[in-house]
Amino acid sequence: MKKHPRKSFLERSQMIIYRLEDSILVGLLLLMIIMAVLQIFLRNLFVSGIVWSDVLVRILVLWVGLMGAMVASRQGNHINIDIMDRFLSERTKIVVKFIVELFTALICLIVAYFSLQFVQMEFAHGGAGFAKVPVWLCEAIIPFAFTVIAIRYIILALTNFKKIVKAGS
Amino acid sequence: MIPYISALILILLAIFGTPLFAVILAVAMLGFYSLDVNLSVIAIEIYRIADTPVLVALPLFTFAGYILGESRTSQRLVRFTRAFLGWMPGGLAIVAFVACAFFTAFTGASGVTIVALGALLYPALTEAGYREKFSIGLVTSSGSLGLLLPPSLPLILYGIIAQQMDIGANVAISDLFLAGIFPALLMVLLLSFWSLWENRHNPVPCTTFSGKEALAAAREAIWEIPLPFFVLGGIYGGFFAISEAAAVTAMYVMVVEVFIYKEIKISQLPSIMRDSMVMVGGILLILGVALASTNLLIDAEVPMRLFHLIQAHVTNKIVFLILLNILLLILGAILDIFSALVIMIPIILPVAVNYGIDPVHLGIIFLANMQIGYFTPPVGMNLFIASYRFDKSITELYQAAIPFMIVLLAALLIITYWPALSLFLIQR
Repeated sequence: MKKHPRKSFLERSQMIIYRLEDSILVGLLLLMIIMAVLQIFLRNLFVSGIVWSDVLVRILVLWVGLMGAMVASRQGNHINIDIMDRFLSERTKIVVKFIVELFTALICLIVAYFSLQFVQMEFAHGGAGFAKVPVWLCEAIIPFAFTVIAIRYIILALTNFKKIVKAGS
Repeated sequence: MIPYISALILILLAIFGTPLFAVILAVAMLGFYSLDVNLSVIAIEIYRIADTPVLVALPLFTFAGYILGESRTSQRLVRFTRAFLGWMPGGLAIVAFVACAFFTAFTGASGVTIVALGALLYPALTEAGYREKFSIGLVTSSGSLGLLLPPSLPLILYGIIAQQMDIGANVAISDLFLAGIFPALLMVLLLSFWSLWENRHNPVPCTTFSGKEALAAAREAIWEIPLPFFVLGGIYGGFFAISEAAAVTAMYVMVVEVFIYKEIKISQLPSIMRDSMVMVGGILLILGVALASTNLLIDAEVPMRLFHLIQAHVTNKIVFLILLNILLLILGAILDIFSALVIMIPIILPVAVNYGIDPVHLGIIFLANMQIGYFTPPVGMNLFIASYRFDKSITELYQAAIPFMIVLLAALLIITYWPALSLFLIQR
């Protein structure tokens, strides 16, 4: 087997982040399935149940969803309309992509900023989400996810910007 | 003037491929900004995802569908259906319709049906003597057949969105599940009759029913046969709520495919989970941000204004439905089904209810349109998947799909103008 060329620090850290992200996502989904099934068993067999289990499962849906959206942003795989794609030349396509990605990043940054404000308000306000976990912590995934999505779209936009510069020179 | 310019810019951004969640967010932001509402309200709206109990069904059914798509369920399903229905005249075509419908109901119409089942059915059909163009058209158009059958994700999503809106009528997901059954049967029936007619000069030899093969096929699929009964029996027998049925299905499918059939290695599970959650993430993100813009639409009374505007020109319910069908067919071809649901339902549903259309019936009409939109030339998604998968030119596929499209349009007309077909099972 040929030895791979040494990866740069950036590439290696990216790989670690991807792995970590994948593992958390998979762990959350497993937890969701197990909690949901466990609750059915407890309810039907023992007519009992964990009081906060339903709430936890619902919050897990939000977390899994937003983390899935983060993973989707790695390659910019979000649901979009791509009817114009077939009519553009390679050159124009890159420019269009650059603009679109920059716009997406900007929107996500704005959402991240304002949802952080929301989480801060909730932090000051207090209140429990489920069990003893404070509600602001459950909501913290929103600014976090949008920040990550914004960063990923900035990276995508930068990559395309490089291509534009390269094609121009 | 400024609202029009920003609307134009956003539409341009959307058709040039901006992620739809970003476009919807931009609309919501502009709206809230113009109303002097603090934008942190967007986070509150997104957090509503965690306040919607049925939503749990979405990731769980999606995951179950991905597992089924990755294992050899498709082969067992085709063998089973063939053993039991293959002896009928036009047998293999009917087998294809039924198998595709079942598979799509569980996996969602994400193109998996064409890739997994089409790859088995297309060679089988041509081998049995069906013409090539017919076979390819059949496989392509069946890729979205079954959208109306439980537990299809779009049905669930329609229910969730409709429940979020205050329209004065109850839209239970369990009702939607029942309402879709007969319209889906009608589609399969019409398609089957058409296949017989189309091949009348080209009689395909019938195979005889073999008890031995039927038994073998049933034994092979023994662990998967209970699935539909689980879902339907569990829900209508009152054992499970929808979200519980989803949890049980996900767990069951995972155990069966990994530990009993052993077709998925444990080491493969994480990547299947991740991929399925990427899809869920895409849908949930759009849903979450759309919750924000929907409230804005309702506050601004957009649906009511739209209703009055349309009412000024269209007083007849039938004419309204025809226009609606045309609009939805076009939308179904350019938008993917989930964004079409999330964006259009909040606008269309209140208008339709004002015309006296039952919200459950509207859901069935909506999805039936979307189903056809999947393979409507020139941009239906399934046409491209099939073109890629079977290495055919896209124009060949246009020609092959059009007859099937006409048959399904006939089914759509019946579904639209005969509400009882959808509603008699739930007695409304």
